[in-house]
Amino acid sequence: MNVIEIERLTYSYPGADYPTLKNITVQIEKGDFLAIVGNNGCGKSTFCKTLNGLIPQFISGDFSGSVKACGLDTKENDVGVLAQKVGYVYQDFENQIVRPTVLDDASYACLNYAMADYKERGMQALKKCGLTGKENDYIWQLSGGQTHLLALAGAVSLEPEVLILDEPIAQLDPMHADRIYGVLKELNEKYGKTIIVIEHHTEYIADFCKHVMLMKDGEIQWTLPTDEALRRVDELQECNIFPPQVTIAAHRMQKNGMMSSDIKLPTTIEDGKKVFFKKSDAENIAAKPLNTDGQTVAKFEHVSVSYRSVKGEPHTVFDDLNLDIRKGDKIALIGSNGAGKSTLMKMLVGLLKPTSGDIYMNSKNVRTFKPEEMAKYISMVYQNPEDMFIKDSIGADISYSMQVRNIEESEKRTQELLERFRLTELKDRDGRLLSGGQMRRASLAIGIALNPGILLLDEPTANLDIATRKEIMRTLDDLKSVTETVIIATHDMQLVCEWADRIIVLCEGQVVYDGNRDDVFSNQAIIDKVGIRPPEIFSMGRAISPEMLCYTIDDFLRCFDGEGLTKCV
Amino acid sequence: MRIADKMSESILDKISIDFLRNQVLKNAYGNDDTVIAAMDPRMLLVWYLFFGITPWFVNNIAFLIGCFILVAITTKLARVAGLVLLLFVLGVFSQTGYLLLVTLIFGGDASAIMPLLVLTLKVATVSLASVTIFSGLDPDKLANGLMWYGCPERLSFSISYAYRMLPLLMEEFQNVLLSYRLRGNPPQHDKFIGKIKYLAYQIKIIIHAFYPLMLNTAKRSRTTVEVLEIKGYRYAAVNKAVKKIKMSCMKISNNDLLFASLSFLWVSVTVLISTII
Repeated sequence: MNVIEIERLTYSYPGADYPTLKNITVQIEKGDFLAIVGNNGCGKSTFCKTLNGLIPQFISGDFSGSVKACGLDTKENDVGVLAQKVGYVYQDFENQIVRPTVLDDASYACLNYAMADYKERGMQALKKCGLTGKENDYIWQLSGGQTHLLALAGAVSLEPEVLILDEPIAQLDPMHADRIYGVLKELNEKYGKTIIVIEHHTEYIADFCKHVMLMKDGEIQWTLPTDEALRRVDELQECNIFPPQVTIAAHRMQKNGMMSSDIKLPTTIEDGKKVFFKKSDAENIAAKPLNTDGQTVAKFEHVSVSYRSVKGEPHTVFDDLNLDIRKGDKIALIGSNGAGKSTLMKMLVGLLKPTSGDIYMNSKNVRTFKPEEMAKYISMVYQNPEDMFIKDSIGADISYSMQVRNIEESEKRTQELLERFRLTELKDRDGRLLSGGQMRRASLAIGIALNPGILLLDEPTANLDIATRKEIMRTLDDLKSVTETVIIATHDMQLVCEWADRIIVLCEGQVVYDGNRDDVFSNQAIIDKVGIRPPEIFSMGRAISPEMLCYTIDDFLRCFDGEGLTKCV
Repeated sequence: MRIADKMSESILDKISIDFLRNQVLKNAYGNDDTVIAAMDPRMLLVWYLFFGITPWFVNNIAFLIGCFILVAITTKLARVAGLVLLLFVLGVFSQTGYLLLVTLIFGGDASAIMPLLVLTLKVATVSLASVTIFSGLDPDKLANGLMWYGCPERLSFSISYAYRMLPLLMEEFQNVLLSYRLRGNPPQHDKFIGKIKYLAYQIKIIIHAFYPLMLNTAKRSRTTVEVLEIKGYRYAAVNKAVKKIKMSCMKISNNDLLFASLSFLWVSVTVLISTII
């Protein structure tokens, strides 16, 4: 049985010159777990919004063809009726929460549709989403992952047949991401819901989804079973989708004759174990040892800090934190959501004062600095680039800090920065209206405008599709030569492995580990404790031979061969 | 000097946006386990009507003092956030309190003081009664109570939605201000002239911060508007059954009756005393 039946759907947004969706005909079967992939702007979100009737009923535009969800025509039925058949969880899910307490929000839709048992329905939904015990919590007490689960519970409470999730794990750490997918899997298998996700993370697709649908320029290219879909490496990469690293590695092996082309490409680590073999002469390349004799540029001494909380005792984030940051360090700061990464950064730039203890910047106590003086030494780029835009064009934003300090040649330097970050053509646009990658580049340019010695970046690659992410990673590599000391707080382990010389692991307000990538990633105890998910290719290597440390696909190809090797390398 | 420095630093720290946000949340939701918060909103609204209106028409000192003591107790029971109380004290003082003080200092006699005292008491009583209700009750209960008395659903939704949005808005505002703080270059403020310039600079920044604040919020609310549609907000507004469900969760309990009768008893006693005097 099909839950979604679409025939010759073409749609363009009001005022747009060309259609966003072009002549789409597709059926989605009941009980499917479908991943929609495609590059930015190919119409994925628009497509999903046609499924619950938001298009064309709430967002008008030029609509032709027919969409049937659970047998209901979306043109003839109210959004309200359709909402009880098709649930939707947005990418910016925190804006989806409209009520102050958890149970209230989960049951709000049921109340609005006048269901007398709305509370029980809310409770049921919370149970399905693993939020039992949180009913009376206020929404600002929830972590990012829990907030996402709540947004999901709000949709689940109406017991829809179909659930649509727009990039569910983009902002979450791996532990929370696993949990979300665990819940989705249960909803799919136990409760028979049809799940549709828009997803960039192909490792998750490989582990959880049944089918993959590729969209390109508003058209559906194909829908295939997951394994088969992920093996179409070239086609996916052309659309800026990156198949699992295991698959890419095998694909490359086949191309240079290291693996027989008859072998089916593996998509998961389990499959990979059967087709990869360690080379007899494989050796690890040791990571760069920590730089221990550099000059200390920032220092935490017995620092404790706590936040005021709405109720009860203040919440302590750090207790007796000691840390040295040396000139030239390229540090990745990792740890789960809420481990204190952002707090540590805020203290360094002086936005947050420690409750006790001292922080020194170039051996001068931060307490004696005025904020405007700090800007010369240290700069921070927020996780949310929108908060960096205080002027009405990015050109003005980049030059702001230089102009107010009457720096000579601020014009020239702004030009240089615009050029370096490829923003020259966009300089008169408002930062908020740019695409994700452009916004991120603009915020980096703003961050280094005053040429600070230390640069702090909070999650620079979060919320980006893989292609944009690669681009930002290149930009970050480029930054290495511009800014001496850089600290990045991130969940992105590929970024950590490829970029950082020093990794600081935070857990519950403590530095639990401080070392280079070999130290951290070969330490299983730390990985388990903090819930780090190393890059897939790294886990692949270790699954075959535990002593191997391959951080990138290139490393992996150097150390491993494929089944049915045809040529000696 | 150092103590003075420390003082000014800690005061500045206290009126940060973060602190304001915390106080707003505390005020709205931090006291949901108090006696007042557990009361029925309809009863409290009637109670408020009495203490919000009668004091204006009565000039008897004993009665006013009686009422004042009662609302002071309820304010204490409601565990109102510190900032609100501070605003209350400032408000009363700026309205009439300073006149009372000035009269006392410049040797005004009882005939001048009495009317001012009466006025101050009136203002204080009414304000404290409002503080008890609007700060002691959580916004949703208040909204439900208002709806029972026939206020439109949209008003009550706006109240609870505003409280939901306020912390977000303040967070956004704080982030924008932080951007100014990190990148801006405020004037030197060691000398007196500098301090005035610094103040002007601060005000200018706050005004400038509104532009990004509004745009960022508008961007965020696009999703919220769609979600409200999906979640059936528009249907609920016209559906009588929904209103009935919402109303059904309000119940007058023994506590409410006890509170009402105690208030009544107290007022009767003060009236009695005021007639005897």
